[in-house]
Amino acid sequence: MFGLIGHSTSFESARQLAQSLGFPEYAQGDLEMWCSAPPQLVERFSVTSATGRTIEGAYIDSVFVPEMLSRFKTARRKVLNAMELAQKSGIDISALGGFTSIIFENFNLLKEQHIRNTTLEWERFTTGNTHTAWVICQQVEKEAPRLGIDLRKATVAVVGATGDIGSAVCRWLSQRTGVAELLLVARQPQPLIDLQAELGGGRILSLEDALAEADVVVWVASLPQGLTIDVANLKRPCLMIDGGYPKNLDSRAAGDGIHVLKGGIVEFHTDIDWQTVAQAAEMARPFRQMFACFAEAMLLDFENEHTNFSWGRNNIQLDRMDWIGAASRRHGFQALGLETETIPSLATA
Amino acid sequence: MPFLDTTSPAPAAENDGLPDFASSAYKSAYSRINAIVIEGEQEAHDNYIALGTLLPSEAEELARLARMELKHKKGFTACGANLGVEADMPFARDFFAPLRNNFQKALTEGKVVTCLLIQAILIEAFAISAYHIYIPVADPFARKITEGVVKDEYLHLNYGQEWLKANLDTIREEFDQANRDNLPLVRRMLDGVAADAAVLQMEKEDLMADFLTSYQEALTEIGFTSREIARMAAAALVG
Repeated sequence: MFGLIGHSTSFESARQLAQSLGFPEYAQGDLEMWCSAPPQLVERFSVTSATGRTIEGAYIDSVFVPEMLSRFKTARRKVLNAMELAQKSGIDISALGGFTSIIFENFNLLKEQHIRNTTLEWERFTTGNTHTAWVICQQVEKEAPRLGIDLRKATVAVVGATGDIGSAVCRWLSQRTGVAELLLVARQPQPLIDLQAELGGGRILSLEDALAEADVVVWVASLPQGLTIDVANLKRPCLMIDGGYPKNLDSRAAGDGIHVLKGGIVEFHTDIDWQTVAQAAEMARPFRQMFACFAEAMLLDFENEHTNFSWGRNNIQLDRMDWIGAASRRHGFQALGLETETIPSLATA
Repeated sequence: MPFLDTTSPAPAAENDGLPDFASSAYKSAYSRINAIVIEGEQEAHDNYIALGTLLPSEAEELARLARMELKHKKGFTACGANLGVEADMPFARDFFAPLRNNFQKALTEGKVVTCLLIQAILIEAFAISAYHIYIPVADPFARKITEGVVKDEYLHLNYGQEWLKANLDTIREEFDQANRDNLPLVRRMLDGVAADAAVLQMEKEDLMADFLTSYQEALTEIGFTSREIARMAAAALVG
């Protein structure tokens, strides 16, 4: 059995979800109440692979909302309790979705293995980052040519290059795609220098300078609040893959010739009969589309690979991306692409 | 999931140090918290013995559980003495009055399910979560005692769970009513000791969240559905 650990995108949407699920007490509760509320296993469903294999899954709402991010102890407790619930529910492999993997990583929850009388078994959890990184790379390789961008002549900027997903994307792009130039953008100078040495290339640039040069921008860091993008400064056409969380790039970088694609999202070959997940995730096609990290838990279950496949930081190697990518194709997932109508050359063709 | 490396929320400082166990503020708060624990163990003993009158075939097992509670009471009394604190027993008796009254009323009416919910599920789940939160911030003497106690309390919770599980088909209505009548009391009781608990570095939000986690787990074991559980737990949060 696989599990998805997630949360609503805001306190307001969480309350609406509670109302629609028939929990008026939660819908009317204030943020303080929500901080004390324990995680809930809200939904069970089955998923059938393109190979015909069916597996069972569950969605665990951590009852975390982004408004709790500034409350360290609350955020930590929410994630650990949701993981404990997944384990106690007998779920073999769960993906940490949304902010939960970010909290796990940034708050160093690896040292919090014991909660009450439970020892968390890390092999039951995955960040899903390997699949997310693979999907983002597929999106770059497939969508750039559709916009007339030849990757062999293109400059690709990776914003958040030193993160777990960012570094994997850089490895893939530099070794597998032969992009003309890779621009590395991140906050901390030293990890950037280390990454550049590991890759044996790539140019370290500020965000502003990188944006001015890039034909393709892969965002795997979320945008700092208040950051504005000078759209006039961008190349045309420009493919922007919004692989951060939350996904808010489309509202900040819209314009002619700028194509923003939600990164790290996959579409399944058939509808999945889930209601709560569909409502919580806010996808365009909510019964088929999902975060690639969630899909990784399904893939690991389909493959009987019940291990923490994506774990720790900067461990994602290309052979692992190959493996998860092959599984992704085999079981009927495909990376989200640009809508044809948003590409003028294709829409008029 | 994408890793944020530009807007990572900064972790607040964690508790580095333990409280000053010798300070007058600590001792004052401890006099009430310690009394609650001592009184709680005494009432647990009395409640298990009383339950034996409703379940004569279980009386022997219940008496065994009751004896464990008295042992715990002795241990916690020693914790107070170790810090040179006199437990404020009148405060503790008042503290438990609403739950005690509900238990006694159910007992006279022969309501086994309500009695088990109050003592073997609700109070035990609360004790377990509170002890788990206390252990990392306790003085070394109390820590050792509490670690021993918490293991026993799981046995008590398990006893209630098993009985209710075996009778799930017939208990739903009474359980639901008993939940509605008693779960809101937990929050009010918690409000009454939140300031003292904070002096012991035990935060109200943690206590409530962990209590509900233990409570939900117990309800899961009994066999309630996720939906019933979420609805019942809400009674503690908004009651």
